[in-house]
Amino acid sequence: MRFLRSNFSFLVAILFLASCSSMNVTEETVNANNVKTVKASQMMDENITYDSQAVFANATIYFDFDKTNLTSKSLQTLKSVAEALNENSQLRVTLAGHADERGTREYNLALGQRRAEAVSQYLILNGVSKNRLVVKSFGEEKPIAFGQDEESYSKNRRVEIN
Amino acid sequence: MRKLFLIFLFFNQLYAELILEITQGTDDPYRVAILPFSGDTEMSEELESIIKNNLNRSGEFETFGEEELLSSPSSEEEIVFNDFKILNIDYLVMGSIAGGDVIYNVFDISKSSKIRTSTVFGIPNKNRQLAHYISDGIYEEITGLKGISSTRILYVTENEKFNLVVADADGKNEQILLESNEPIISPVWSPDSKRVAYVSFETGMAKVFIQNIGTGEREVVIENSSQISSPAWSPDGKFLSLTLYQDGNAEIYILNLRNKNLTRLTNHYSIDTESSWSPRGSKIMFTSGRSGSPQLYEIDLRRFNSKPKRITFEGNYNAKGSYMPDNQGIVFVHRSESEFKIAMKYFDENFIRPLTISQMDESPSISPNGNVIVYAIKDGNKGLLAGVTLSGAKFKLPASNGAVREPAWSGYLR
Repeated sequence: MRFLRSNFSFLVAILFLASCSSMNVTEETVNANNVKTVKASQMMDENITYDSQAVFANATIYFDFDKTNLTSKSLQTLKSVAEALNENSQLRVTLAGHADERGTREYNLALGQRRAEAVSQYLILNGVSKNRLVVKSFGEEKPIAFGQDEESYSKNRRVEIN
Repeated sequence: MRKLFLIFLFFNQLYAELILEITQGTDDPYRVAILPFSGDTEMSEELESIIKNNLNRSGEFETFGEEELLSSPSSEEEIVFNDFKILNIDYLVMGSIAGGDVIYNVFDISKSSKIRTSTVFGIPNKNRQLAHYISDGIYEEITGLKGISSTRILYVTENEKFNLVVADADGKNEQILLESNEPIISPVWSPDSKRVAYVSFETGMAKVFIQNIGTGEREVVIENSSQISSPAWSPDGKFLSLTLYQDGNAEIYILNLRNKNLTRLTNHYSIDTESSWSPRGSKIMFTSGRSGSPQLYEIDLRRFNSKPKRITFEGNYNAKGSYMPDNQGIVFVHRSESEFKIAMKYFDENFIRPLTISQMDESPSISPNGNVIVYAIKDGNKGLLAGVTLSGAKFKLPASNGAVREPAWSGYLR
């Protein structure tokens, strides 16, 4: 089984956890694309067997106001997510769509769903089986930034993959 | 495991009680004198205070107590109408208490005559309810509209946990219907106001529940692996319109509550949600993104395969519509520049009337008499409830702690 290459440039977090005691998964970074990632430490022990390890492909995809289409930055991130999923065929992910607080709650719930569906469709087109994906929305109900300004709004318009 | 439990609290629940403040009344309110009720001083004081608050809150009344008047007759025969005319009082209310029951009379000062006599039978320890009934009688006699003091409001609070709460229309007598660690949205009443439906995320995904207010019993409306949201009851109580996501997109369905049959109402690749029924149940209005921005559409249920008809054209965001109870128009959320306001449109007019002035107004709900709209506002980061009457009076209902949102007004409870 292949494992994470340390020079994985898009920093899609593929997080090795669980039984792997010699690995430190700590470094949390936010790169230029605003993709929140967790990068595995490079202090890996070459002799570990990875068969029983839990593997996650975590990423966050951001959207424009009232939009559900994937931006070119998102596509770069999603390409990495698709690769990770294709390399780990047991992996299942939840795609949770979110909206900013502007507009009505039910419309925002539907908007979040469409965002999650857009991500789902990309992954399916890139070889990920539909039954490995759970698509849902929290609308504007679970913001991660609480200001009433574009900076906060842009962080809340997202699909969380994990 | 399910982190959720039900609480059955009926009275005396002290929790984040709403505090009412009137921010703006109408220009020319009815001036009403309320005299003490004879027979029970303590109960009279309680009734007077609640009745005055109810009438003042409507924004259409200005009330006067004994201490502000020239004379305080203790019986009908002792009334000197001129004493009230001089003070420009329009109406006088006086009555008596006997054995917990209240008899009250309303006098029209300009006509020097009695226009109403009513008896309200008391229930032990429910003076508040009694005062609401009396307020509604006075309101109806003077305005010609049914009063709404004895109705209730459902809303969601967030204060570490999410709560679904019901309270009297004056914000008192709160009762928690549901407490959850996960969001609760879109609460609505059944037409008989005995049950509520709402969306809860307690299972990790939006699902619609129906809950009996009296017993606390509840059930999920459809067993289905996809998200379900945005419930709205048909006026006859037999159907629930819902938004289902099983087609990979928000579509509106009608659920027959008796046999659980589902009928698909919309079929479009854009968002269709926020359905609501016309007062007689012949039409369903909903928000659709099919024109490229959220707009309100209507489907005529009397015609087979009726096509959705767009009904809003002004601005690029018109959503969450509800019909006025007299079916003369609709109330909805309208974006004007970058501000979200509550707006109204009469069917015989081709323009929108904005009703509110702040920037993040949402979730309008109309009182059963059609005269008051309660809605959610943001004051800084805190959510609270506000109201506006069609005559222009405004009020706020901030909670003493926590954020409050998504108000839903009950029907008449009598």
